[in-house]
Amino acid sequence: MRLADARALLPDLVTTAGEPQADRRLIETIANWCDRYTPWVAIDPLGGAIAEEGTEACSAGGFGGDAGLLLDVTGCTHLFGTGEAGERALLTDLTQRLSRHDFSCRAAMADTAGAAWALARFAERQTDLFCPRHGQRAALATLPVEGLRLDAPILETFLKLGLRRIGDLYPMPRAPLARRFGDQPLARLDQALGTLAEPIEPRRPPPAFRTRLAFAEPIGRPEDIAAATSRLLAALCRQFEQAGVGARKLEIALYRVDGSVDRTSIGTSRPNRDNPKLMKLFEEKLGELDAGFGVELMILGAPEVEAWDGTQDALPDQHTSAVPVGIDGTTDLADRLALRLGIENVVRLLPRDSHLPERVQVTAPIEAKPAAAGAWRRVAGLKGARPTRLLQRPEPVDVMAPVPDDPPRHFSWRQHKHRIVRAEGPERIADEWWRPRPDGSRPPAGGVPLVRDYYRVEDDDGGRFWLFRDGAYKVAANGQPTARWFLHGFCA
Amino acid sequence: MPVISPHAFAPSAANDLAAGVPLGLREKVRRLERAHSAQRGGRAASVALGMPAIDALLPEGGLLTGALHEIEAGPAPSGRVASHDGAALGFAGHIVGRFARQAGGTILWCRRPTGTFDAPPYAPMLSAWFDPARVLMVTAQRDADLFWAMEEGLRCPGIAVVLGETRAADPTAGRRLSLAAEKSGIPALLLRTQPAPPQSVCATRWRVASAPSHSTPGLSDVGAARWRLELRRNRFGTPSAAEIPSWLVEWNDETHCLSVVSQTLDGSSSAYWPESDAARLVG
Repeated sequence: MRLADARALLPDLVTTAGEPQADRRLIETIANWCDRYTPWVAIDPLGGAIAEEGTEACSAGGFGGDAGLLLDVTGCTHLFGTGEAGERALLTDLTQRLSRHDFSCRAAMADTAGAAWALARFAERQTDLFCPRHGQRAALATLPVEGLRLDAPILETFLKLGLRRIGDLYPMPRAPLARRFGDQPLARLDQALGTLAEPIEPRRPPPAFRTRLAFAEPIGRPEDIAAATSRLLAALCRQFEQAGVGARKLEIALYRVDGSVDRTSIGTSRPNRDNPKLMKLFEEKLGELDAGFGVELMILGAPEVEAWDGTQDALPDQHTSAVPVGIDGTTDLADRLALRLGIENVVRLLPRDSHLPERVQVTAPIEAKPAAAGAWRRVAGLKGARPTRLLQRPEPVDVMAPVPDDPPRHFSWRQHKHRIVRAEGPERIADEWWRPRPDGSRPPAGGVPLVRDYYRVEDDDGGRFWLFRDGAYKVAANGQPTARWFLHGFCA
Repeated sequence: MPVISPHAFAPSAANDLAAGVPLGLREKVRRLERAHSAQRGGRAASVALGMPAIDALLPEGGLLTGALHEIEAGPAPSGRVASHDGAALGFAGHIVGRFARQAGGTILWCRRPTGTFDAPPYAPMLSAWFDPARVLMVTAQRDADLFWAMEEGLRCPGIAVVLGETRAADPTAGRRLSLAAEKSGIPALLLRTQPAPPQSVCATRWRVASAPSHSTPGLSDVGAARWRLELRRNRFGTPSAAEIPSWLVEWNDETHCLSVVSQTLDGSSSAYWPESDAARLVG
């Protein structure tokens, strides 16, 4: 029905413009909130109003109201009670909490995502929303065939043929059905009945290890949150010990009373399961978390774990005040530094076999294996005199060099003129032709390769610099030979 | 209603006691304490620079391990401040190498990139003094973060030496670093690219600038690197005849050692550095 028709029928109709993006944000917020029940939450791709970024296309069902979420609660229901009672309790809890936030919702639980999808939308009685174990065949039989998530043309044909209920499909011979309608109806039916697996793709990868702590009363004080974190961490570290792993990344999520979620995470450079050390890392980050009006639930998960490398934690020494540390405390120090300054700002230096001075030094993340002892000395030993500081990008300088292949007499850099008293060179460093240039091009086969002639020069103050001339002298239009000169480093 | 602290009326026993103790004795106690903390970390109390003429002036015959040492890039004879002088870094590299040889572990190198153009230390050259594989390189965007990282490093027993590279340091940060170094026995170095006001607390402060090298007679090649070295502050050390002792040192890149070429007397040294700020020798 068009808006004009609707207004003609009902002049008092209240209308607002649809906002697919806002709808999407809202459903994402709700999906975040649902992480409290299970880490395995997906936004239903067939759920109606989920407009993809930048597209206006919505599947049939209109705006907003038909949006759906799929939760895989396998192994999560025991937190609400044992067996079926727990499953029912989770479902009731979910519906009640959502309606407390003024969302009208229908939630169904079944063995398969397809059955739950159909029940949530088409079940007639409230009691039908919970489908007992292996009961989906009976539960689906009376539901309309729309519950199978079929494409519109197939659905239309089904209705024309008088196949109105899902149960009508049960006695149909499968081969003719597949021949006439393709794979979809049978696949959907099998998925709903559980004979065909239907993977749900979670929004964020579910952590392999996870602990949760729910509070009877919302908490808000930073000390309380720190204490709760420490309790969660202790429980998680026990799980790590049993599984023989250590955490590389931990994420803590605060579920606030107003339905919003705040998260923060820490990373470590080697598998870690030492409770006090991890707590120390968290203390840095807890200040960033906002408890809002109060926190009713906290979940600590480990999205990244690695096999425990077998390093034994040192026992605290009674006689000295030395800190008990894993190996020597350096990895923990690196973790703390990386946490505050950013992982890219705490690095190791690795040598690389290259002729180009700027390519010799590589920065690598902390967890990288350090260079072998003497590797640096070997790299440096092959080369000539090198500067103590190397400019990240060579700075162009103005020079006065009377004779080609001679070092310059003067050079000016940053408005200072340096008179050159002593000089050494040239040391020719050619482009590595076997390696593509940074812009992806290879040096032309017949052309002149990029060549630098390096000079170590000393000015009248005693300052020592590393200059280079880019390429050979060329004759300019006015007949004068020209070359570009650069400053590349400062020598000891 | 005024809130009165329970400690407001109690006489501070520690302060009174300290005030009664003569200055020399206090220094002696501090020295013992420092030696103890260095010993606990399995380190020697001091590390020699390898130049007997200079080591003779330093306490315990070298640079103290549990202390803060400052190195600043000095202005050139023409008055120009070479903010990216390689000489100060070279001297810092020599000291780091000395400390790193004496104690195993990681070298924590913290630096704050300077604005428009950045010239980070170049590891192939640093390998002349120590193995760059041992370096943990930390980049901080603010001075506060830099000093925090240095302090964290000074508390970590697996660290051989901590070096901080920045433009200038405020006295509070210097005091905190000094205390942290004293407590753990780990040496702290501060490499500054600009001369700073002389009130900061450090055991020694050096000013380093490049000096013309000595080339082979008849040729104009660049000889072995020479630096003008000034000891601007020498706390706990032996006073020298000159107000600011200064030396011309040469670094031999084949034997990897520093040697004193000539000792400059006080008069010529103040002529060498155009501006002369009063530095206390014995603090």
